[in-house]
Amino acid sequence: MSHIHLPDGVLPVWLWASGYIVAILVGAILFRWIKKEELTRRFPLLGMMSAIMVLGAAVEIVPIAYHVNLTVISGILLGPSLIFLATLVVNLILALFGHGGMTVIGLNTLILSIEGILGYYLFHLFYRVLKKVAPVTFGATFIALLISTLAMIGVVSLGTSHYKELMHHQEGGIFKFHLSQEEEEQHEGERMEGEVNLRRFVSIILPLGFIGWLLEGLITTLIGRYIYRLRPDLLNLEKEIS
Amino acid sequence: MIQLSYLDYLAVERNSFFHRLSPEVKIIGMIFVLLAIVVLKSLFGFFLLYGILLTFFFLSRIPFRIFSLTLYPLIFAVLFIFISSFQIHFILLIFLKVLCGSIGVVLLLATTPYPLIFSTLGRVLPSPFVTALFLTYRSIFILLNILEETQHALYLRGGFQWRHPWRSLINISNAFGHLIIKGIDASEKMNESLMLRGFKNKIYYRGRS
Repeated sequence: MSHIHLPDGVLPVWLWASGYIVAILVGAILFRWIKKEELTRRFPLLGMMSAIMVLGAAVEIVPIAYHVNLTVISGILLGPSLIFLATLVVNLILALFGHGGMTVIGLNTLILSIEGILGYYLFHLFYRVLKKVAPVTFGATFIALLISTLAMIGVVSLGTSHYKELMHHQEGGIFKFHLSQEEEEQHEGERMEGEVNLRRFVSIILPLGFIGWLLEGLITTLIGRYIYRLRPDLLNLEKEIS
Repeated sequence: MIQLSYLDYLAVERNSFFHRLSPEVKIIGMIFVLLAIVVLKSLFGFFLLYGILLTFFFLSRIPFRIFSLTLYPLIFAVLFIFISSFQIHFILLIFLKVLCGSIGVVLLLATTPYPLIFSTLGRVLPSPFVTALFLTYRSIFILLNILEETQHALYLRGGFQWRHPWRSLINISNAFGHLIIKGIDASEKMNESLMLRGFKNKIYYRGRS
């Protein structure tokens, strides 16, 4: 829910192209931060966490067309720099399986990495105050998902003029029908009604999203608790305790 | 995602004209399909493109059961219909864009083994990204094996039942938690073996034997 599942050709070129440019710039900056040795050491972990996110996306909660992202838990385990590369890889693989088009990979990487990076910082910030893994994980996941969904809605709303163009595009060639005057008038009325309805889109996305954030919050919390019980070292909480 | 191994099997074992084509040609073809999806605005153009891709799909001897994979992205396209006030032209346009993209991708994946796709991408994309892509793809298969084992344990604990949502949620989360811990264990072993082989952030592919 918190990333764009739009197919190719729906968003305007300037929008998805800027998504790619910003993603490349952010990626290059973050990449410079990571030490080469650390990257070499953590590559297999990055691959594994990306694979877990891909598998999470394959588990579809059918009635609300929601799938878990597991970006927050991956962000907590990988850290803010590596989660960006992980989301880029995940989005490319997901695009190959129809979760959004190839052109929206840049935008989706930005939106999903907001979720992962924010989740990581919120988790550590909340843990400093509450010192309990379960509520901290839930809070971090819920807020990160809320913000990334709002970012997704913001991106979709930026393309409004392009959707209008697509909706009102007149057909040519074989599909060009000659309408009578009466029919044309009738269609004009329909066209006025058929404006881009972002309010309806938001009113569907937000309630469904809310159920999704709750579900993902709960699932991430239970995963976090499970990891805390068996391998607490993976959560890097030592510095928060000291 | 379970179909991934079957797609790989088809890419390696089947032999058609499309399987024999070089991965470079197929990737360039896929880029042209994407370009057409972005540029085309008429339904006729999309029907034509979809018809051509459909013909290629059946000519490449891919089993019909794989065709259902190309329909899967429609689930997500449905949500976007609400933005358009249910205009038939717009809905058809979106659906055809989705179908053209997905059939193109499935055609590429079912006729080209993934190491060949990644090694081709490695010529244009930065090597750390391609390495991450390769390791992720490999890890998916490792995790699918772990998941298969976990499924039995999950089943014995009640699995997923709509009548018991809380228990189901705990079971699913524990399964994911187990998957993550096992996955991290496997990644540590992978790291050790990569280090022993002198891994330097790049994986080399020696080509078809």
